[in-house]
Amino acid sequence: MNQRLNLSGVSKSFGPVQVLDSVSLTLLPGEVHGLLGENGAGKSTLLNILCGVISKDSGTIAIDGKPIQIGSPRDAAAAGIAMIHQELQQVPELTVAQNIYLGAALRHAGGLLVDRRAQETEARRLLAPLDPSIDVTAKVHDLRVAQRQIVEIAKALRAQARIIAMDEPTSSLTPKEFERLVSVIQTLTAQGVSIIYVSHKMDEVFRLCSQATILRDGRLVAQVPIPQTPVGQVIETMVGRELAHASHRSFATDRVVLRVANLTRGTAVQDASFALHAGEVLGIAGLVGSGRTELMRLLAGVDRASGGTISVNGRTPGTGPRARIRAGLGLVPEERKRDGIIRHRPVASNVCLPAMRGFSRWGFIRKGYLNERSQSLMAEVRLRPLDVTRAIGSFSGGNQQKAIIGRWLATDTQVFLFDEPTRGIDVGAKAEIYDLIEKLASQGRAIIVVSSEMPEVIRVSDRVLVIREGRISATLSRHEITEANIARNAIPA
Amino acid sequence: MTRFPLLSRIRFRDAGTLLGLILISGVFAAQSDVFLTQPNLINILQQSSINACIALGMTLVIISGGIDLSVGPIAALSAVLGAAMLVAGVPIPLAIAGALATGVACGFVNGALIAWGGLQPFIVTLGGLSLYRALALIYTGGQPIFGLPDGFRALTNGSLAGIPNPVIIVACLAIAAWIILNKTPLGEYFMAIGGNPEAARIAGVPVTLTKFAAYMISGLMAAVAALVLIGRLGAAEPTMGILWELDAIAAAAIGGASLMGGRGSIIGTLIGCIILGTLRNGLTLLNVQAFYQLLATGIIIIVAMLIDKATSGKQGG
Repeated sequence: MNQRLNLSGVSKSFGPVQVLDSVSLTLLPGEVHGLLGENGAGKSTLLNILCGVISKDSGTIAIDGKPIQIGSPRDAAAAGIAMIHQELQQVPELTVAQNIYLGAALRHAGGLLVDRRAQETEARRLLAPLDPSIDVTAKVHDLRVAQRQIVEIAKALRAQARIIAMDEPTSSLTPKEFERLVSVIQTLTAQGVSIIYVSHKMDEVFRLCSQATILRDGRLVAQVPIPQTPVGQVIETMVGRELAHASHRSFATDRVVLRVANLTRGTAVQDASFALHAGEVLGIAGLVGSGRTELMRLLAGVDRASGGTISVNGRTPGTGPRARIRAGLGLVPEERKRDGIIRHRPVASNVCLPAMRGFSRWGFIRKGYLNERSQSLMAEVRLRPLDVTRAIGSFSGGNQQKAIIGRWLATDTQVFLFDEPTRGIDVGAKAEIYDLIEKLASQGRAIIVVSSEMPEVIRVSDRVLVIREGRISATLSRHEITEANIARNAIPA
Repeated sequence: MTRFPLLSRIRFRDAGTLLGLILISGVFAAQSDVFLTQPNLINILQQSSINACIALGMTLVIISGGIDLSVGPIAALSAVLGAAMLVAGVPIPLAIAGALATGVACGFVNGALIAWGGLQPFIVTLGGLSLYRALALIYTGGQPIFGLPDGFRALTNGSLAGIPNPVIIVACLAIAAWIILNKTPLGEYFMAIGGNPEAARIAGVPVTLTKFAAYMISGLMAAVAALVLIGRLGAAEPTMGILWELDAIAAAAIGGASLMGGRGSIIGTLIGCIILGTLRNGLTLLNVQAFYQLLATGIIIIVAMLIDKATSGKQGG
């Protein structure tokens, strides 16, 4: 059979970081091809290259045997490639039909007017084999996510896509909606459309795919036929690498600092219960979207829990970030730019926000004391350059992160909540942040580290909680912390 | 950076605004003999004082990431209520307190809708713009209130060492606003919630209180401006203060306040007010038609923003 798509030797680096290293992939007509790998393995980069969102450094792409250049999303669409993003890209205020014909409106009256009626008729025809229950005149924001996904697929068919890439299409679908998607995919493949299917869920991959390409650290590690290969082998191939248990030192004590019982928020976090001890570093592992960040935000009081309790040193703190800070909790958020720093303000100003009481007297900020104290805190976290009067936005990502960590040293913070502490930070600064975490633990502070990077979790944690679909699926003690153990409990069966 | 303690406090952006003022003044000084005389300069300050008063509050609101379009009507409502009390024989300090409380109360309503109601500042204060004006008109039946007592008028018409009282009042308020912005936790909170509201909340900034403070200070400043104006005129009109909000926003923007929030300067705003005042004064001295004065004001605002855009990112913060 002819190859529908042939990617060969595709490489891409962002600055010094090689995110894709000579990856190849072939796709047959009517095939559902799984694309698997851990967070950060390079799946999204590969899809983005295919869809013209970013350009490759080297390698070739051929469709139906003919080499093509994809320089823009428009080129990709013209080549018959469509992508169903995890975050659906639709205009919620427009109708189903309008979204399907977005950017390619059917016209009449000599091209002056949009022919709504023709669009609606055509949209109905496109949707008939997929889900005839969808009303083409309904606004997209009134549809459920599963229906919106099908509208997106209909839009791909309207553009006569022959290759559809689906990025985690089922992350917010119910089992019943998944069944509907399965039949839609079967309809598509019967028409010869090829699907690239990205998912962490092994049962789906094994149900739908005939082949799977497995990426790890930007490299192709295997292409396996799917029903024949055992699930365990697929997961091990994904996770793979052997890790030296690099110099982990534990300072954990028996004294419970933070106790969490049945903490719940909707379906994002369900019934989380655990205890955290002084000097302990508790890792939290799980897939992106499994509820790790949500748990951190609940603890820090940024979001409100719908149920459950927490206590710090035996006392129940109030709600809201201010009460939680007073109780001794400090969050170093995942999205540093959005949730962490006040970009234009000096480091000292960013440091003093949670600890204003300590830095002011008679209603005035003690600027001299603030600068002095910030300077010494920043020396402790090794901020470079060590100048607390400079705007925090002018520092590198790693140094911004150090400043935000240092902020919590200014208050009497006993529980540090690190959410992806080394995201977007270069290797050198990473090591410094690991050292800082160890130092905080040695001072008897209790620490939670959420991380998508397995080596990071393994390096810093005394104990690991694995979260799967909002629930704690496993608690691993130090000697049980391995990539395989984490992956087995993180990936939905 | 520099070893001159005073100079290092005048920030790069403020120096730019000051340079603009000097340039404009230079042009007028070359064209008119009267311009640089002491009475005329004092006149400019006096004419700028009402706008400066409003603009000080506006600057704090803008820095905190909001906007207050309702300052003119708040001034009108404070003016007519204060004037009514004065005419009815309420003791002067009490009447002044009543007018100021009216301004603060209007600011409280704005703050409540924005901080508790979660509504957009632009829309809330746009509603306030009509609401407070309507209250002032309804209360007075559209008629001005005449006959303010001389004791009250003396407060705004007097002068100290040759400087008119309104200028002194505004100078004191400016110092207070500068201290709030640069020396107190509240000022740090204004900058933080304007610069990044979500990060500020996570860092423990009392976001709700801070927003209330901004709009209540703005309301207070509008009431002060109202009192100064009715003292000077001897009457309170329910239609006073039309388009004050735009002059105040213009002055703050010329002075370096970012309408995105998080940045702005009290000194810059003051100079911005004086630039606008100087422009009107100078063009009048040169017998330029009022239509062209409006044109010049528009051009100055746009040029200031273009220079801002071109130099942003090159400044040291």
